[in-house]
Amino acid sequence: MDSRASLAMIAGAGLALCLPGPATGVSQSADPPYDDDASSEVREHHRHHHHGGIVQFIAMALDTLGADDSKRPRIEKIQGDLRGCMAPAGRAEKSLHLALADGVAAGAVDDAKVAPILAQLEADANAVHDCSAKALNELHATLSPAERSALVDKLQAHWEVWAEVNDAIPGGREPGGRLTELRKELNLSADQTDRISAALHSSLVATSRKFDRKKAEAHVRTFSAAFAADTFDARADAANTAADLTAHGARRMALFYETVTPFLSPEQRAILAEHLREHSRHQPTASAQ
Amino acid sequence: MTRTFLTMVKGVLCVAAIAGCVATVSGPGMDVDVYPPAAFIATATPAYYEGRPVYWWGNRWYYRDGAAWRAYREEPPYLRDYRAHRPPERKFYGRAHEGGYHRG
Repeated sequence: MDSRASLAMIAGAGLALCLPGPATGVSQSADPPYDDDASSEVREHHRHHHHGGIVQFIAMALDTLGADDSKRPRIEKIQGDLRGCMAPAGRAEKSLHLALADGVAAGAVDDAKVAPILAQLEADANAVHDCSAKALNELHATLSPAERSALVDKLQAHWEVWAEVNDAIPGGREPGGRLTELRKELNLSADQTDRISAALHSSLVATSRKFDRKKAEAHVRTFSAAFAADTFDARADAANTAADLTAHGARRMALFYETVTPFLSPEQRAILAEHLREHSRHQPTASAQ
Repeated sequence: MTRTFLTMVKGVLCVAAIAGCVATVSGPGMDVDVYPPAAFIATATPAYYEGRPVYWWGNRWYYRDGAAWRAYREEPPYLRDYRAHRPPERKFYGRAHEGGYHRG
């Protein structure tokens, strides 16, 4: 065997040894679920629901925390308290969905109706930070270190999904992106898709520039580190990005519908308006006091 | 001279290969480049094992270790049993599942 062959064998054997084999266990599926229904739906949710920033992400994280069963009643009570803090913003968000639905159905979104709702939503979201401090402290005291670790993973995951869909390239046609989904939902023609993409690029780019993603990212990071620690006091969290996240997400959503509406047929507008009305009915905070 | 050099290179490669494998698979898990995406972590209920949340994704159990993700090379018996009795759960935020909205 020549030297090159023996070198290749050594390298190949080393690589083979290091590659992971399949995990032993029961059922095997073909591919990892990069993009399944649950993933698509959480993206759709984060495109349309903006009422509490990090607190909203934490309340959603509690849906799938899988904490010890004995803690479930207490965790559900805390989740209810967090939703209660977001209830005023949730009501404003519902008004926004309905105003946008009316505008889409009529053929033009009325900015004079939407602007005051956006302002109210931002103000209500700004109050979530202080309101939720007590519940967040109770949550920290309730969870084990492993459960706090899971909550932090989920908070960061919700932030990543939110940022992916609300800070995407305006008018982009990436798989799973808003325009791609809209094309499927409304059976848009190629010409409609081209014109909408160009219009979104123009209308959304200014809003995107205003959003300070680094500030929000830093807040998620510092909150996560604080919550994972053994001692925690939510009142010490000086950053309040709830209004920033809510205002950016809601404004971007409103601009999206305002921009696409003129390019749609009456039938397409009727379908899209109904989608918005469905979103207005999907309000976990609506039942909170 | 050339033969000596090649012998040295082979020796270094052997040591590097073994050291690399030890670093990768020692301990309970191995470092991975591919790990569960954010949308999965946001919607999946973890199990808890060895004091940490673990996620069943793509036929493996994954967990976060600081900034990195790791996976169990072999499925621990506890988790295999857990999965047999409690299938991994996902949260669906759409209308079809809880009276919310649906996508077209």
